[in-house]
Amino acid sequence: MALTRRQFVLGTALSGMAIVSRPLLANPSGTETVSAIARGIPSTGETIPAIGMGTWITFNVGSDPYLIDQRTRVLETFLTAGGTVVDCSPMYGSSANVVGAALENLQAHDRVFSASKVWTSDQSATREQTRSSLGKWGVARFDLQQIHNLVGWQGHLETLREMKASGEIRYIGITTSHGRRHRDLARIMETEELDFVQLTYNVLDREAEERLLPIAQDRGIAVLVNRPFQGGQLFRRFEAKPLPDVAAEAGVSTWAELFLKYVISHPAVTCAIPATSKVDHMQENMAALYGNLPNASQRQELVAYVRSL
Amino acid sequence: MRTDVWTTYSLQDLLMFGPEVYLRLCVRLNQDFWPWQLPVVVLGLLVPVLLGRPEASLRRLAWLAIASAWVLSGAGFLLTYYSEINWPAAGLGWAFVVQGVLLAGLGLRSVSRPLNPQGRRFQLVWWLTVILLPWVTVLESGTVQALAVFGLAPGVTVAATNLVPGALSGRQGWLLVPIPLLWLTFSAATFWTLQVYWLLVLPVVGLVMLVIGYWLSPSPAQSLDRQSAHHDPAHR
Repeated sequence: MALTRRQFVLGTALSGMAIVSRPLLANPSGTETVSAIARGIPSTGETIPAIGMGTWITFNVGSDPYLIDQRTRVLETFLTAGGTVVDCSPMYGSSANVVGAALENLQAHDRVFSASKVWTSDQSATREQTRSSLGKWGVARFDLQQIHNLVGWQGHLETLREMKASGEIRYIGITTSHGRRHRDLARIMETEELDFVQLTYNVLDREAEERLLPIAQDRGIAVLVNRPFQGGQLFRRFEAKPLPDVAAEAGVSTWAELFLKYVISHPAVTCAIPATSKVDHMQENMAALYGNLPNASQRQELVAYVRSL
Repeated sequence: MRTDVWTTYSLQDLLMFGPEVYLRLCVRLNQDFWPWQLPVVVLGLLVPVLLGRPEASLRRLAWLAIASAWVLSGAGFLLTYYSEINWPAAGLGWAFVVQGVLLAGLGLRSVSRPLNPQGRRFQLVWWLTVILLPWVTVLESGTVQALAVFGLAPGVTVAATNLVPGALSGRQGWLLVPIPLLWLTFSAATFWTLQVYWLLVLPVVGLVMLVIGYWLSPSPAQSLDRQSAHHDPAHR
């Protein structure tokens, strides 16, 4: 397979990082890795890379050819660095169309783990909205179809189960964000058969650690994490601050990588889905897909450090 | 969708695009419309002159230009470009078309007399708005291609033409106030949420123009300028 210049440069950079870095974050359990960090989906055992790509805000660019091309480069960087999970929703304006255009430009429909959502209070519109989203993405079926923010979840879940049984979708899930309706989500996770949940979790928003993530572990539910950078707020608050010593020792050179490694180092988390509109930011994000992860005490150190800033 | 679900969303959650994408709308509009900006701006600059002319046909032309500016901003910027990334823009686009129709109807009805005896100040404020305000988007974006041209970009169009309701006689001018106020509120909330603070100048100036329009009004009941009452006795 011929490598493009972009693939070569990115591959070299990531390989170099893996070679030169000392045991990342001094993990005493010795789980150093040089390949992409992948996690199993509990319901099937299928593995997916632990860093995915969200599209909230970033891919809603309408029909602007210049911006569509830019977003195509972002997706290309993501795929080249080993990412597969792409998440979108009908709520995100033209994002699904732009994802579809980017996939078409890259001829990459079969390289993504496609995660879409149903977002309508009309509980009989599950199939119709799924078909509409499929047309925008240009894929034959979604790997994962989720119920967005629990909207009309009872009716949608029933239909999604039928669709999964008939092979129209592979996995079903339910989502929340910004810490909304965690009590409702917990009840659904405890009583319904789900493959995935999606929730907000980051170094500052840690409410999910108390109940949702333990339930996911107990019930064998994969977890997608949205807003791992708190919608960019973490950068606005901490980017000008120095990284903690433990990060520098480990070769983690950016806050993005550190924030993401904090998220995916939780044993219940399957994949974090940060969103970005910039290629260089995507490269920083994807660096978190390689190397070691912090252990429990190092995670606590990170939280304490961030809180102290 | 359940009401309690909507109450969990903040304005920021519902704004599904970033500043770059919004400013690109101005760039695309200018690229697609070029070179028609030039005659549109020239006609826009002539509006206050034409409104003060004694010939009814010229005043009629001015009113049609004002109405067309609203329709063009609504059908062009809002319906064709902005609504792709922000669904409320579609509704606002149609509201702009309605405002254009209202302006044409009310303006042509009042065409029997020159609009405003305070014409010099009206002209000066109008020209300053049409000439200076478009540069706000340039300041925010860093590119002259994002110039918010009168007649195409809604912010500048609304700001300049907000002088008009106060200049109309009687109560009919108030019919022209709700849609501009709706736009000013919507755009101010949008720019605030996007944290594009330069662009907040657009709705702020738009609101100031509305006030100035009534201040320059010839009606003594509406005007702070006592001189204007003396120049328009027929108005009472």
